[in-house]
Amino acid sequence: MFINLEEAKKLILEGRILHIAAEESLLNQLPKGKWIAGTTPYFITEQGGITSKDKLFVNEITDAVDFKTAVYDRSNIFDITKDAFANGMTFLVMPFASDVAVFYAKEAPNVDDLFMNPVIGWISGYDLSTGSSAKVYDGVTGTAYGDKAVALHISLPDNKTASIGIVNIFSADNDDAVIEFKEDALSVTKCLVNGKETVFSDYITENKIDTQLPLVADYNGVLINVSIKSVSKENKTVDFYAPVFSGKEYRFARPVDDYAASFAEQLKGHKDVKPVFSCNCILNYLYGKLDGKATPPFAGPVTFGEIAYQLLNQTLVYAELIDK
Amino acid sequence: MELDFKLQKIIKKEAEYKSTNLGLNLLISRLQRRYSLNPSQAELDNCLREIKAFFEKYANIMKKDVDAIEKL
Repeated sequence: MFINLEEAKKLILEGRILHIAAEESLLNQLPKGKWIAGTTPYFITEQGGITSKDKLFVNEITDAVDFKTAVYDRSNIFDITKDAFANGMTFLVMPFASDVAVFYAKEAPNVDDLFMNPVIGWISGYDLSTGSSAKVYDGVTGTAYGDKAVALHISLPDNKTASIGIVNIFSADNDDAVIEFKEDALSVTKCLVNGKETVFSDYITENKIDTQLPLVADYNGVLINVSIKSVSKENKTVDFYAPVFSGKEYRFARPVDDYAASFAEQLKGHKDVKPVFSCNCILNYLYGKLDGKATPPFAGPVTFGEIAYQLLNQTLVYAELIDK
Repeated sequence: MELDFKLQKIIKKEAEYKSTNLGLNLLISRLQRRYSLNPSQAELDNCLREIKAFFEKYANIMKKDVDAIEKL
């Protein structure tokens, strides 16, 4: 629900278990309670995409039978797997470019038992036109952090289980060049293009590749994107918003002419989903000009990275609670 | 035992199984990569243990997947 400050305060004071996304000045005014939050001024509401500094996007977790919040840094972030309830779900929010977010991005896919408990969440951000900093909030203590992750662990009733899904509008052309990397990295110089060692920034420049398109890799039928953050011709480096991994084959995504239409097409297969939470990527919002456009049945914050177990890019992620 | 055998084939990329469950697909992909980096029996046993723990925990919603894998 997309509500004003007074309505959000009321829900908190009623003791509701909440996940909140909003601009920093609003989050700073919230009373302590059963909530976590992250900063963003961008949202896709049921009425469409909007930039707002006077409303908050709030998800109430009505099915939760218990909850706890926790704060993590890079030294203990993967305690989330053992801190989670046996039957539950974890909401995880981390500030953009924080040490803990970078560490999680790189290491999560290698962590044992990561998939034993559903983890969904996002990377908090800021207004790109003013360039402030990203924050996360633990509502139980009322503390804001710019360098730590916050989690809301919820326990579910025995007859419910959490299920996480993604919507990715991108696809790869299997006839296109295969790109591989020799190590797990957030920044690279060289890669293999169809098996031949190549300076990746040169490859992008020489082939006039649109860097608004992500690299796409197949994870057992699930297409996972890695978005390009920057290309330095001087340093011959390419930086990513999420890591590339050795042993995976990547291809550049096919161009998308109309993001809203592509989402609409993809969402046909999700019309019966009843999400308790969803978020979409700032790059989809900006590149796809989603301002004013809705993505039913999904509404939520627009984020600087999405978490569905591991960090994703240019992807809509959602969680639903289903009967066992 | 039949399920163990089929799961081992999936981990070794000798058989293919794609689920509608995101967590299972990501887990299979992770275990395949892990085994490919260290293709030993001990690693295979570790991978098998992890995927079976996943099926055990989510037994109520994984039945279709287990049945389909057994039929591979």
